[in-house]
Amino acid sequence: MNRTTILLSSLLITVCTTSLMAQEQQFETVMTPAFTPITWERLVNAEDEPENWLMYSGTLDAQRYSRLNEINASNVSNLEMKWAYQIPVIDRAETVPLVVDGIMFITEAPSNVVAVDAQTGRQYWRYDHELPDDLRICCGRNNRGVAILGETLFMSTLDAHLVAIDARTGNLLWDVEVAKHDSGYSKTAAPLIVKDLVVTGIAGGEFGIRGFIDAYDAVTGELAWRTYTVPGDGEPGNDTWAGDSWKTGGAATWITGAYDPDLNLVYWGTGNPGPDWNGDLRLGDNLYSDSALALNGDTGEIAWHFQFTPHDVHDWDAIQVPILADINYQGQPRKVMMWANRNAWFYTIDRATGQFLTGKPFATQTWAQGLDVNGRPIRVPGLEPTYEGIMVSPPITGGTNWYSPGYSQQTGLFYVTSFDGEQIFFKRDEDYEEGERFTGGGGRYEQPMDAFHSSIRAIDPATAEIEWEFPIMPRSSAGITTTAGGLVFSGSADGYFFALDAASGEELWNVSLGARVHAAPITFQIEGKQYVTIASGNVVYTFALRD
Amino acid sequence: MGFYSMFRWKWLLVSGVASLSLFTFTILPATAEDGGALYNTPYDISNGERYFERQCSRCHGFDAKGNDETGAPDLTGRLRRASTEVGIFNIIREGVPGTAMLPVDADLPDTRVWQLVAYIESLRYDPNSVELAGNANAGNGLFRGKGDCDSCHMVAGRGGRLGPDLSRIGENTAPEDLLNAMVAPHDAVDPRWWTLRITGADGVARTGFRMGEDSFSVRIMDNDANLWSYRKNEIRDMQRIEESTMPSYDQLLSESELDDLVAFLFSLRREEN
Repeated sequence: MNRTTILLSSLLITVCTTSLMAQEQQFETVMTPAFTPITWERLVNAEDEPENWLMYSGTLDAQRYSRLNEINASNVSNLEMKWAYQIPVIDRAETVPLVVDGIMFITEAPSNVVAVDAQTGRQYWRYDHELPDDLRICCGRNNRGVAILGETLFMSTLDAHLVAIDARTGNLLWDVEVAKHDSGYSKTAAPLIVKDLVVTGIAGGEFGIRGFIDAYDAVTGELAWRTYTVPGDGEPGNDTWAGDSWKTGGAATWITGAYDPDLNLVYWGTGNPGPDWNGDLRLGDNLYSDSALALNGDTGEIAWHFQFTPHDVHDWDAIQVPILADINYQGQPRKVMMWANRNAWFYTIDRATGQFLTGKPFATQTWAQGLDVNGRPIRVPGLEPTYEGIMVSPPITGGTNWYSPGYSQQTGLFYVTSFDGEQIFFKRDEDYEEGERFTGGGGRYEQPMDAFHSSIRAIDPATAEIEWEFPIMPRSSAGITTTAGGLVFSGSADGYFFALDAASGEELWNVSLGARVHAAPITFQIEGKQYVTIASGNVVYTFALRD
Repeated sequence: MGFYSMFRWKWLLVSGVASLSLFTFTILPATAEDGGALYNTPYDISNGERYFERQCSRCHGFDAKGNDETGAPDLTGRLRRASTEVGIFNIIREGVPGTAMLPVDADLPDTRVWQLVAYIESLRYDPNSVELAGNANAGNGLFRGKGDCDSCHMVAGRGGRLGPDLSRIGENTAPEDLLNAMVAPHDAVDPRWWTLRITGADGVARTGFRMGEDSFSVRIMDNDANLWSYRKNEIRDMQRIEESTMPSYDQLLSESELDDLVAFLFSLRREEN
């Protein structure tokens, strides 16, 4: 081989390599495969396309019930892992992915989103949201998921922005500041699409914010309406706050709501009044903290409200996903909303009118003797937090919390992750300073977690009676998904992902994933095969039946 | 609070020291490079405590003992990421990258951060400053001899496996709590040392320490140090005995012997480098 040949060979190799690199670079910037844009009609009828998981709670009624039944009680023990996606940022994953025509969209801490092939877990694109270094967040760097309309994803970010991202490429389309992050506002929850609006809440209940629910134009990002969850001067309900305490009244809206297209009502829960554990300066019921709100989908106007915990001093946010269903109540068909509240009481409410139908405790509680005919709690006197501390049940984390409950159309049962615990509550005096925590106290456990009981409980919404329970040791902060295969899927803080028989609560299958499950499962189908996905620790796992 | 309050000066002479401290604020510069907290008067500590309760307790707990849910560490024992006041200051100022531990507000004055450092430091104490009635060497003898503690407990690699290893028990247990654990062992038994009586699929009932339990499985160790694992859905019966298997030493040892054992146990800590 002479010099010329060597030179030519080297040149050829260089050209080939360069060409390969170019191809690879091009490959790295791939878009997702094309998918049929998601119309509002498809979201209304999401139940009819169970192969996709199109919104945080699966369907607008938030039942987290899938019609898929390939995986069922007879074969669920044959589930095996198909792939795992490792989230590069170490934090706890609370993500509930969406799946659209075989493409999965996963949000990650702190405020990122990645698109992967739902059959393999391999990445298409990622969007990293740039964050300032002076965030005000109470409870970790979380993001729970995106919403989709057309070919656009919508995501909340920790700096209290709402961003629109092209679902095909991950390109940023628009970015609006919802509220000032350095005043204590942040955003963690998946938005909810209502027609052509992006409805979204706000976090910051530990920073003396004034809560609200917003709706933005999905195309332009312009604010369409804002409904404050603490009424302003002169508005109805403002007189439930002593003095100017409404200005720092909290009532954040940090979990995703539900929507009834027939009634055109958006249902959304609100959080604790501020400061959390000291109510001395905010005497009154403190509307609309700890409430379910029903809002007109076009205007945001409050149609009705139901306050679970008037003048809360224990941080029992009504931050639960409302589940809507049409059930038989006392012999009559009834459009209801079901709600297992952090205050340890379960409620069934007429969702057209807000009328209280029935309610009972679903977890250990010592603070209320009962509910009156309107569902208002009859308090046990003397259980407000004190300077010295006082033992109350449920603890701050509640009889349940933000983790999604589920409902099965097969069994007619409501399923909730519940906790029987107690805690010593303390009160402190604090002055409000913008951007600083404003909580007025705190809590302390007297026993280790293993000393308490936790379980998944199945509740009959017509009677509020517990039908069965499945014990979990030591506890769980996972959501629940039900399927037409007769299954209830959930996870636990000790790192299990498992399936129960929806009718009996019998254990059918479990796998140890080795890290806490802080997320809710989803299920979907590709090429006729059903998959189940759950985030555990910092990993997103996907399972299907053994081939 | 209990024992620790003895080692905190909090709330003492607050008003008297306050005016002095305010004067101190104005004349002394404070940065991490200064090499330590200049703000460690009782007034500073109580200010630090108030700030801690407000800003830090959500994750670290109202008693600063941490929270395994949030991953926030216990701040009352030996700190893993900082061994000096400057180290603590820097973590508060800068946060811990890649974790939920964010930096404090950049506008927060250094004085306030130092007060927080002083409060966190007040949660610990210098063991050399604690004077105990007992004699640690005599306690060592009792531990291996009359007390027969080493038949169940290990210290420095010697002893039994039927109770907790006590090699570093003095690091995070106060003398009065050590005494209480010996005379009233059934108070606040850690679930790890509960006794479980389990009847398995084979119909045999076995009793042992609760070595581990989760939603779907449980493990016990019997008195012969055999480990038995069960799947919960195969268990016929399970009883929990939420008491310690340790005898009370209230009547078994004299008061001075108990003091000696406390002195010995309190001396058990990691060797300093």
